[in-house]
Order: sequence, then structure tokens, then C-alpha cells
Amino acid sequence: MFFHIVLERNMQLHPRHFGRDLRDKLVTKLMKDVEGTCSGRHGFIVAITGIENVGKGLIRDGTGFVTFPVKYQCVVFRPFKGEILEAVVTMVNKMGFFAEAGPVQIFVSNHLIPDDMEFQTGDMPNYTTSDGSVKIQKESEVRLKIIGTRVDATEIFCIGTIKDDFLGVISDPGATS
Amino acid sequence: MSGEEEENAAELKIPDEFLKAKCLMNCEVALILEHKYEQLQQMSEDPMNQISQVFEKSLQYVKRFSRYKNPDAVRQVREILSRYQLAEFELSVLGNLCPETVEEALAMVPSIKTRGRAHDDDAIEKMLNDLSLIKKFE
Repeated sequence: MFFHIVLERNMQLHPRHFGRDLRDKLVTKLMKDVEGTCSGRHGFIVAITGIENVGKGLIRDGTGFVTFPVKYQCVVFRPFKGEILEAVVTMVNKMGFFAEAGPVQIFVSNHLIPDDMEFQTGDMPNYTTSDGSVKIQKESEVRLKIIGTRVDATEIFCIGTIKDDFLGVISDPGATS
Repeated sequence: MSGEEEENAAELKIPDEFLKAKCLMNCEVALILEHKYEQLQQMSEDPMNQISQVFEKSLQYVKRFSRYKNPDAVRQVREILSRYQLAEFELSVLGNLCPETVEEALAMVPSIKTRGRAHDDDAIEKMLNDLSLIKKFE
């Protein structure tokens, strides 16, 4: 789920940037530093939307660098266990399939795919029901439920399931072609 | 209750800072990111250089899964859903997935029925009807 939250960060600024456009320099550096990063607690920081305030700077002894506490608003993406969301299938193999929901990767193991769906090999590997009415392949859109998350230093990885009511394929790219 | 072990969005057990924060539906995120992308485009010739992979992927994702495209419709959806004493998180899940039946809505957001709120099936059905009307008239 996407959230709009306020975060705080201590920014170190080199003395050469001190001057009229100190604030602009600070904001540019903040965007460069935090946009696109990921932490286990807050998830992926997608975009900074505004600066709440810039606190008083503190000069560091010896170096001349100044540390400013900056409060900023940003859009973050944070997946939760138990959350239901829609995702695009990116890869299918006999172990299951991978799907992407924005910046996050979700793996759905074949144990968590309904039992009546069988794996089919070929140049377009897919999971298909015995009557062929439902097919999961690359670029399919699925609705899944997150049942586990693993947090890395720079990435969040999720395990999902489509073996529940109202979960599964929402659109199938092969159906129209 | 401590940390990650207890997290379960189906029972609305998510860390406090997110529970109190503003949740965004995909269609709202699409509006925000597109606006930001346009700003970047005006500032430099090659905005693709400026944006992170996370931004790019999120933008593609929300564009693909936005139920409502027009900003007025997006505003209406939030207004209608906020009449029903939903938590921010529940509101956004409903806005994103647009369930068609009461049963589906309860499967998507089981927490609607808990927390002692007076949500009977009729109220939920009315809410879903209101939502589908916005979609129809968009």
C-alpha cells in the first residue's frame, strides 16, 4: 500500500554550499539521497512531495560540515502481511511465479497456486486449469494476498498466495491475442 | 505486541505510524507521480536520468492499476468512502480493488466486520453501489 508520511533525516552539508540557495541545495541533496531507497521500517521511498521544516544546523567540530535535521513529506510503498493487492506476473517456472507490484517483487510458490492449475512448459511457460479457461503467464494481472515479507538492507521481498476466495487472475494477455 | 511477527493487515495490525498516516489509493498516487514527472520534464531535457527505478516502477504500476483516471472521480471516491467510518488502510484497499459484492468486500477487508462498528451487509452494499456509480459516470 502507498502512504503519505513525514520522515526526518539529518543532512550533512559541505561549507561550500553555504549561501543564498542553501535551502535549495539541501533539498536537491535530500532527493538524491533518499528517493528510490528502501528500509525495512518505512518501505520504499518513491517520491518526496514537500519539506515540512529545516531545523537549526549544527557545525561539526574539525570538518566544518553542518548537520541539518530536515523533516520531509514523501510517498512510500510498504507491503504488509495479510494485505491484498494486484500485481503483474513477470516470470513463470515450475516452482511457481514471480509478480511485481510497483517496486516490490512477490513470489507465489506452486503450493500456493490452486491445485487444479497445472504447469505447462514451452516458450511461454504458464499455469493453466484443466479446462484451459484460466491461464497465468508473463504479463498476466493477478490479485494476490501477501503472506510473508523478508526485509533486506536495500530490498523488501514478499511471498504471496492466490489460493483463497476472490484471488487469482484478473486479466489474461493471451485471451485477446 | 512487538515488531514484525504480529503484523497482519487483514486484522488491521500494522505499525502505528502507518495506521495514523495518510493512505493513498493507486489512483491518487498516479496523480501525484505524474505531476512530479511533468515538473522534472520541465526542468531537464532527459527526466529518465533523474528518476529512480523505484519511481519508474511505481508510476507504471499505479497507471496500470488505477480504477479512476479523472481527478474529480478520485476525489469523489475518497469522499464517499470516508462517510463509512473506515480506517485509512481499509478505505484505500476498497478504493484499489473495487469489490463488486459484499462477500468479496469482506474477503478483501475482513477487518470491516470487526472492531465493533455498525456495518451490516446493507450498509456495505450501499457503499459498493455508490462506488460503482462513480465508475459508470466517469
